[in-house]
Amino acid sequence: MASFDFDRWSYRLVLGALGVMALTIMVAPVIIVLVVSFTADNAMRFPPSGFSWRWYEALLDTVQSSQIHRAALNTLQVGLWATAIGTALALLAGLALARRRGAGARSADTLFVTPLMLPQIAFALAALVFFSLIGFDAAKPAVIIGHIVVCVPLAYKTISASLSQLDPALLESSSSLGAGRFRTFRRITLPIILPGIAAGAFLLFMASKDNVAVSLFLSDARTNMLPIRMWQMMEGTLDVRVAAVSGLLIFATLVLMLAMERTVRISDRLR
Amino acid sequence: MSANLGRRAALASAAFAVGGLAAPRPAAAATTVVAAHYPNTWETAYRTIVAPALLRQHQIELVVTPLLAFDQVARALAQPRGRPPFDCFCLDPGPRLTAIERGLVQRLDRAQLPNLAGITPGFHDEFGVGVAVQVVGLAYNPKRVERPTGWRDLFDAKYHGRVALTGFGATFGTVAMIEIAKAFGGSETNMEPAFEQVRRLLPNVGAVALNSSQLPALFQQGQVDIFYTNTNNVAALKARGVDIEFVQPDTGCPAFNTTLHIHTRSTVVAEAHRYINTSIDPEMQALLQQPPAMFIPTNMRTPLAPEVAALVGSHDAMGRFIQHDWSVINPQRPGWIERFNREVRT
Amino acid sequence: MGGSIAVPDAGRSGRMLLLAPMLLFFGAFFLAPLLLLVVVSFTNDQEMTVLGTAQFEKFLSDRFNWRVLFETLLLGAKVVACTTLLAFPIAILFVQAGPKLRRLLLMLILLPLLTSVVVRTFAWIVILAREGVVNSVLLSMGIIGAPLQLLHTEMGLIIALMQIELPLMLLPLVSVLSRMDPNLIAASQALGAGSWRTLRRVILPLSLPGYAAGVLLVFASATAAFVSQSVIGGGRLIYMPVFVYQQATTLFNWPFAAAISVILVIAISMVAVGVNQLGRTARGNIHG
Repeated sequence: MASFDFDRWSYRLVLGALGVMALTIMVAPVIIVLVVSFTADNAMRFPPSGFSWRWYEALLDTVQSSQIHRAALNTLQVGLWATAIGTALALLAGLALARRRGAGARSADTLFVTPLMLPQIAFALAALVFFSLIGFDAAKPAVIIGHIVVCVPLAYKTISASLSQLDPALLESSSSLGAGRFRTFRRITLPIILPGIAAGAFLLFMASKDNVAVSLFLSDARTNMLPIRMWQMMEGTLDVRVAAVSGLLIFATLVLMLAMERTVRISDRLR
Repeated sequence: MSANLGRRAALASAAFAVGGLAAPRPAAAATTVVAAHYPNTWETAYRTIVAPALLRQHQIELVVTPLLAFDQVARALAQPRGRPPFDCFCLDPGPRLTAIERGLVQRLDRAQLPNLAGITPGFHDEFGVGVAVQVVGLAYNPKRVERPTGWRDLFDAKYHGRVALTGFGATFGTVAMIEIAKAFGGSETNMEPAFEQVRRLLPNVGAVALNSSQLPALFQQGQVDIFYTNTNNVAALKARGVDIEFVQPDTGCPAFNTTLHIHTRSTVVAEAHRYINTSIDPEMQALLQQPPAMFIPTNMRTPLAPEVAALVGSHDAMGRFIQHDWSVINPQRPGWIERFNREVRT
Repeated sequence: MGGSIAVPDAGRSGRMLLLAPMLLFFGAFFLAPLLLLVVVSFTNDQEMTVLGTAQFEKFLSDRFNWRVLFETLLLGAKVVACTTLLAFPIAILFVQAGPKLRRLLLMLILLPLLTSVVVRTFAWIVILAREGVVNSVLLSMGIIGAPLQLLHTEMGLIIALMQIELPLMLLPLVSVLSRMDPNLIAASQALGAGSWRTLRRVILPLSLPGYAAGVLLVFASATAAFVSQSVIGGGRLIYMPVFVYQQATTLFNWPFAAAISVILVIAISMVAVGVNQLGRTARGNIHG
């Protein structure tokens, strides 16, 4: 009896301690940034000496922070385009490859997931060389394309997972009842996988807005992106507005995540 | 069902709407010059001081893009054809030489630069004009460590654990390392003494910053208390309320000037000249000399502000500051960078 | 059973039509640039006019470069090991938790993934610096006498990397474990096996496919984490991604940067294939 208790409690203690460490590592930095963003100090120190909204006010001031606003707008624009195009591509590809087991299908599937495995800096360099060699000047489309390549695997995996949980019997019964292909898709498939599509689009957008490597190499004068701008501010001037931007981003992310959770149960989709 | 499709349509139209809204609308009458400048202090100064003047006086819209000198050259090299990524460069001597060698910049038309007459001789040539002098020296936290006197102090035991080193990535890093070599008996062609000192300091170094722009953060967070840098960086940190002071090394003050250039393929050459001319105008230089920018003027007709004069003396004195031969330095830099990598590895 | 599930009698041509856009996109904007990168890596000069293997010879002939490569891969392995240690407790907690707790845990797990890398690295500077959070807390509690050096050390880098790697490991792990029959644990304990034994013999083997996927993701991510490596690792820890960046942007030596990238990709792929094989074998072992 005694040895059984030791076994159980040592198990709980060790796993508990490790679990707490893990959660702390994942969550503490986010909380620290949020706290620092409300500092009254001139510097980003933790703990802050006082509470103040001043950095958020400085951020919203259009004269002082116009560059940040522009960078944020660029990031939003690129993100929306990349999400729209990427999700569409991922959906079509997912539909084509669902339930296929052949060698060709498996290779295509691996190919579409490979950007996640590749060091982004290698791809970013390759893209830079590629676009310059073919003489493609326009930076914003180049950034959008680059973002799609490195972020679409997330949407693809999510949509594929969603499709794989679709019961083929539903489709067979639909077609045996006389519904055409497109009708079956519109009325049966699409509604069922729509949450998966939304989750995939959400992940794609989140990945795009945080992308550094590709944006660093491919953006130009007029397409300054938010993460790059934040990095420049952070390193060069220790501007506390970076913490305020981060606070806003975290807040927006949380709100979006909660909304996704309520509408499409995103926590169930990510498997 | 219709709500589902409605959702997707809404997303798509939102994308188009934002895309349309966010597209920059070019001003009707003004020509646009895209100028690259170093992030933060430089770009803010040019955006808030030079750009409005340029718009008012010449109806030229200045778009400032933040890029470090080496990034500017890298970006320009990455686009060997078609529209240049920006019309004007702002470069330190090292990248400047590379830009000239690689044919990225064009010869300036002196006729379009009347203000050139006031510029300190030696601070301009056929390819570029100096707009600010950068003085390199030591920076330290007066509340935590003693005031250093020269380069040798960096390696002294009393500063053990407090020193930050940065390699040859940034221009001031290269300049400082050369001066360190000279302080220990080396020269521009013999860097061994510097590497030797670095190796000896390693067990007691405070931090090694890969990217020189990491230094401010390390300094502010108390990770290090003494490093080498230029006066602009010190001014920027002081403006943020950080305790920091600049010291001229006892072996002499190295300086270099930052120059403006015009891209070979720029389509707004006349306007670019006007932008350069405005930047070297004596009154503009006086404005740029104000805090927090504190750019040391290259135009002799601009009187030196007291804080600047305290640092550098006079325009003549600046002309006598140590300058380096970048045609000798540039070819060696890649080797030094790799050597530095090797020396500092744990 | 040949048709696509969503378009039942589309047949091959229908499927190819659906597949075409993504395939063409990847061909043009993923494979082509990578191919170009490989070609550029086989040029001998910076102007990229002469073909040859000079770049590879330059890299492979220098022991220092081999060390950088080795240390990068080793960093990946260390991060995988540490992440494994901390991920399993959370995964097991998740499996044994009710739906509400599960949802909360998933939100917490997602949080690091959704915060910007710039934000994260700066937060870690504030935490790990000599006067940062960790040192302040430990000093005030009297656990240490003098501040620890955490920033610019490999340990500090690994801890900071774990913030993003834990979610990457947890998502596939949790996915696989949540499909596990919870009765298995109860059965194992009813048969007399202790908690540790149940972990070793029941939970771990069943989690293997998810774990293998997690290992791949974490390894690839940690070895390529250029921002964290340079900001938190500092100048004395040199890894391959930083090498690429230095060569590409500070020295404009694209061919050498390309060669380093190619070598890095090959090295990571080799490890990935190896791990994949292990995962497949494990799956075979479980399902006979």
